Amino acid sequence: MAMTDFTIISRSMTARLFSTITTVITVAVAVGLMLLLLSLRKAGEEAFSRGAGNMHLLVSRDSSAMVSVLNGIFYANAPQRPIDWAKYEQITSSYPIDWAIPTQLGDSYRGHPVMATTREFFTKFQPDPSNPWQLREGEYFDQPFEVVLGSNVARRTGLKRGEKIVLTHGIAEEGHEHPEFQYEVVGILEPTGTSHDRALFTDLESTWIIHAHDRRLRENPNATRTTSADLAPADRLITGLYVALPTREGSRVPAVLQQVFDMMRRDTSITVAQPGDETRKLFEIIRNMNLLFVGMAGVVMVSSGISIMLALYNSMEQRKRQIAVLRVLGCSRARISSLVLTESAMIGFLGAAAGIAVWLVGSQAAAAILKDMLGLVVTPRLDAATTLIILLATVALASLAGIVPSVVAYRTSVARNLRPIG
Amino acid sequence: MDSRVMALGIRDLKFRYAPGSAWVVDVPALDLEPGEQMLLTGGSGRGKSTLLNLIAGLVDPAEGRVFVGGTDIHSLHGAARDLHRGRTIGVIFQTFNLLHGFSAVENVMTAMMFSTIPRREHRGRAEQLLAHLGIDRPDADPDRLSVGQQQRVAVARATACDPVLVLADEPTASLDPENAVTAMDLIQAICREKNAALLCVSHDPSMKDRFERQASLEELARGEAAEVSVAAAGAGKRG
Repeated sequence: MAMTDFTIISRSMTARLFSTITTVITVAVAVGLMLLLLSLRKAGEEAFSRGAGNMHLLVSRDSSAMVSVLNGIFYANAPQRPIDWAKYEQITSSYPIDWAIPTQLGDSYRGHPVMATTREFFTKFQPDPSNPWQLREGEYFDQPFEVVLGSNVARRTGLKRGEKIVLTHGIAEEGHEHPEFQYEVVGILEPTGTSHDRALFTDLESTWIIHAHDRRLRENPNATRTTSADLAPADRLITGLYVALPTREGSRVPAVLQQVFDMMRRDTSITVAQPGDETRKLFEIIRNMNLLFVGMAGVVMVSSGISIMLALYNSMEQRKRQIAVLRVLGCSRARISSLVLTESAMIGFLGAAAGIAVWLVGSQAAAAILKDMLGLVVTPRLDAATTLIILLATVALASLAGIVPSVVAYRTSVARNLRPIG
Repeated sequence: MDSRVMALGIRDLKFRYAPGSAWVVDVPALDLEPGEQMLLTGGSGRGKSTLLNLIAGLVDPAEGRVFVGGTDIHSLHGAARDLHRGRTIGVIFQTFNLLHGFSAVENVMTAMMFSTIPRREHRGRAEQLLAHLGIDRPDADPDRLSVGQQQRVAVARATACDPVLVLADEPTASLDPENAVTAMDLIQAICREKNAALLCVSHDPSMKDRFERQASLEELARGEAAEVSVAAAGAGKRG
């Protein structure tokens, strides 16, 4: 095979193998980091938007739509202002509704929020619109004082099916316990990759009974154990409604969504939120943080470009004689500098390719760690376009880094570097 | 004789490092016919190396012209001059200047990269030339070859593109006397074979017997022994 520019470049790279490999690794780490941050950002965005699932509207009495979503879907705090059962019935009968699931937050178990709701929470609501709930073991709650654990709760607490637990009334430390009302763990959920993995689920009636018991003890310290029969209308309180409106087949967005939303908003006694809108707003805030991370990855990329430049620049001293010989053999200055520039671009390309491999391994590891430590299910994914852009950007950056060494190569004096001569 | 058909033709060539300083090179005229061989002697000043650089078009003169294969190399610029040099001039260095990391045959093929020789013929030609010069391991790393063999690889590289002019710069200075004899035999033989003119710069006294045509830089400057009509050289060539 005849000699080509490529042979000369690859020989030059292998002649300084250690320098070439360390430079390629530097680029690979930078590219891998960049890809990791980009893919996690996408995955994070997905994980965020999944929590709202297939509901269209979230109704509460929180101070704003954002707070309502943070509390009602992301379990940030226990909502302070309850909705009574009559209001619930009024809402469900006043609007065209496919389903409306009552939820009540306020209790906790070792810091994990407890959501009191109905069986429909598992049969109609889906945290991830494309995947229904799955039980890892056991079954959904069927009667009072049965509890189902989110996957994260099960893993963190180590609770098993059949175990009895006591819930804390109130999420904060100052909450009090009701040892006389024990719940039995009847089921453990598969991970959904949403906030709901951090919660425990029980039925509304048991929660109402405990609250009614508090009330009855205040009225009479010697009150007997409270049962369903003791519940007064004032005990039947909820803090939110997950609402879905009827949709046409094949459509996820109901035709009446905006209309119903506007109508509900006229009722000033409730706060109504479109969870999709709110999570988007939320993500806008986080996006700036993400930009910071991507910016940092960009800085790492640039510094890897500088390391390419340094490696090539430092090699110029050793290569002056080779350049001079090539010039004597008939190689032009322009071709010499293009050899150096191409070598720089190739280091960039190899680094980017290795970086994609680093990302493939690293993202799986990061996903495993996130799932293990936070119970956050992320699927790091990159579309071909982003990957290609990063690849091209890296090659462009590397070519830019090759400019200074290639100018040095261009200006290498032949006569001076062939000494001793004559 | 018309300088345009000469292998090398120098006319009024002058070079100095700074305006106002003494001329380092001042050659009114020098012609070499195709296949002619000439020894350039003199002390180890900078003049000889500068003259070779001027001939190769690596340094620009203050005045004058240098015809190589009929073209004034200084009338060409940039890549055109580099290509012209690669295709018409072969250079043999004192320190060989072989490319590290390239095998013997790759060193020779690198010279062909810039020639008009069809690419598929490169390896065959290079191997043949190396074998002809006594290198039977064309894929060996030159660093693993003996000094004498390295010189042969360098000779092969300089003559691979059938140059009209070979510039040999102290070709024996790095060799022991025995190798020096072999190397010079080889260089002169291959140049004769390829009908390439040879301009050899050396201050090795043993060279004197090898060249009929000889001059020092000073003699060239005085215009002595400059014309190709120097009887001995011309007669020797034609006879």
